Amino acid sequence: MRHHYWEWPIPTYLFLGGLGGGIYCLIAILTLFVYPGIDIVPEVLAWPGFVSILCLGFGCLMLVIDLGQPMVFYRAFVKSTSVLAWGARLLTICMIFGLLWFASYIPWDWFSGIAGFLTPLRPLCLAIAGIAGTCIMLYTGIFLSTLKAHAFWATPALPVLFTVSALSTACAAITLSVGWWPASFDPHNIMSASLYVASVEAVHEILHVVDIVLVACEIVVLLVMVLSFLGAGNKTANKVAHKWVHGSYAPFFWGGMMVIGLGLPELMYIFLPGVASSVVAPILVLCGGLLLRFMVVNSDERAPLPGEERYYEKLPSTDAEFIHKWTYGENIY
Amino acid sequence: MTRYCMVIDQRRCIGCGSCTVACRTWNELPLDIVYNPVIGEGVQGKWPNVHRNWLPTLCMHCEKAPCVPCCPTGASQKDPDGTVWIEYDKCMACLACVNACPYGMRDQSKLQPRLHRFVRKCTFCRAKRELDPDAQPYCVLTCHQKARIFGDLDDPNSEVSKLVNSVETFRLQEDMGTEPQIYFIPDLGGVRQQ
Repeated sequence: MRHHYWEWPIPTYLFLGGLGGGIYCLIAILTLFVYPGIDIVPEVLAWPGFVSILCLGFGCLMLVIDLGQPMVFYRAFVKSTSVLAWGARLLTICMIFGLLWFASYIPWDWFSGIAGFLTPLRPLCLAIAGIAGTCIMLYTGIFLSTLKAHAFWATPALPVLFTVSALSTACAAITLSVGWWPASFDPHNIMSASLYVASVEAVHEILHVVDIVLVACEIVVLLVMVLSFLGAGNKTANKVAHKWVHGSYAPFFWGGMMVIGLGLPELMYIFLPGVASSVVAPILVLCGGLLLRFMVVNSDERAPLPGEERYYEKLPSTDAEFIHKWTYGENIY
Repeated sequence: MTRYCMVIDQRRCIGCGSCTVACRTWNELPLDIVYNPVIGEGVQGKWPNVHRNWLPTLCMHCEKAPCVPCCPTGASQKDPDGTVWIEYDKCMACLACVNACPYGMRDQSKLQPRLHRFVRKCTFCRAKRELDPDAQPYCVLTCHQKARIFGDLDDPNSEVSKLVNSVETFRLQEDMGTEPQIYFIPDLGGVRQQ
């Protein structure tokens, strides 16, 4: 059977898209609902916002380089019904409004005119970027789950899993990057310095608790999804679940995902304060999120037609390359 | 209204693969692309009660084709007569349709230049039918066993309509809800697709 059509750029794109969208979703919630009216909070969250833009931009680049004809990419904005086209639009909206929001915090003198113009628009830009980011998180899972040909993807649990994972990785990314440039404080002004430190601490604290809950949810959703396929899935999904639980993917699933990507960071968050919970655990969560996308995208088995596997196994695999070279790349038949 | 479909008589197919060769030759396909593989599970049963049947396949031109709505550029299209086809100039080869197809009947050629790849599939020889509406696909014309029969399902006098309404037929993976427009007449000794 022919499968594995999508190669490494697509899982990378799904990971970066979910991560970037999740970061803006969390920034919008923290700024507009949790700490409204406290100016230093969005300022310390500006750099994570820029990280999100980088992730979304790099994710789009991954998507484009995977295309067979990248110059036709603009057509994804023309047609409205496809999930992938909506994803491309949401990514663009999130990047544009996220960039405008971040630009309003840039402290360069020559940029002060533009930043000043954008300052009153901050809540609007952040709200739009946050809504688009939330939709991107949902879209990455929905995109795969609409492809019903692949039994392991065609489940409502997948969008839930990808959304929880996107939020969890976003928490980790913000924890790692909160408080960097352009946020600053006057070292000679004790009030300014304490405000800066307090807001960074407050963001760290709330994300710490949120990520504990999210990682726990992710463990539950992932286990429910895989074990339900193992127990009650159709033949194809069951085969994939077997591969995950005690087949060739088992070391990655149990060792990589469940232990290193989820269990260990959860324990670090709860029991090991300091560097372990603020640096090591978020990095492990990010690695787990990336591994999850790779494992899910590579689990693209579909129900084979009777005798299909036998047919494609018998096709010569090296002759095509030989004949292609022999004809100097021209199809002479 | 015209609604094209194909009836494949498994009782007649001998697995010679001439339909595959005709399609590849006339459509000038790259070496790594096969539109209509003739697949089979080999010899089934226990001697002396053994049998072997063949399953000539192609794009199912589904009534509810999942490969059409998932296309982000509008390249993957469905004609009013039921033909599902790809407008190559619009295809950016994102492979969403390839992953949406439950039958694995779409692919891009890895032998094409890296930045000029597009997804290919059987179109019931649409280009040929544009010139002559009564033209038959090359795989149908080539089949010396007359195992492939092509025609308008909505025309009560067509051979396909008579066959579909008189003989027991089955379609592949009907549980996917795609309503494929390729009907198979099962081989008497064969094992039917569950």
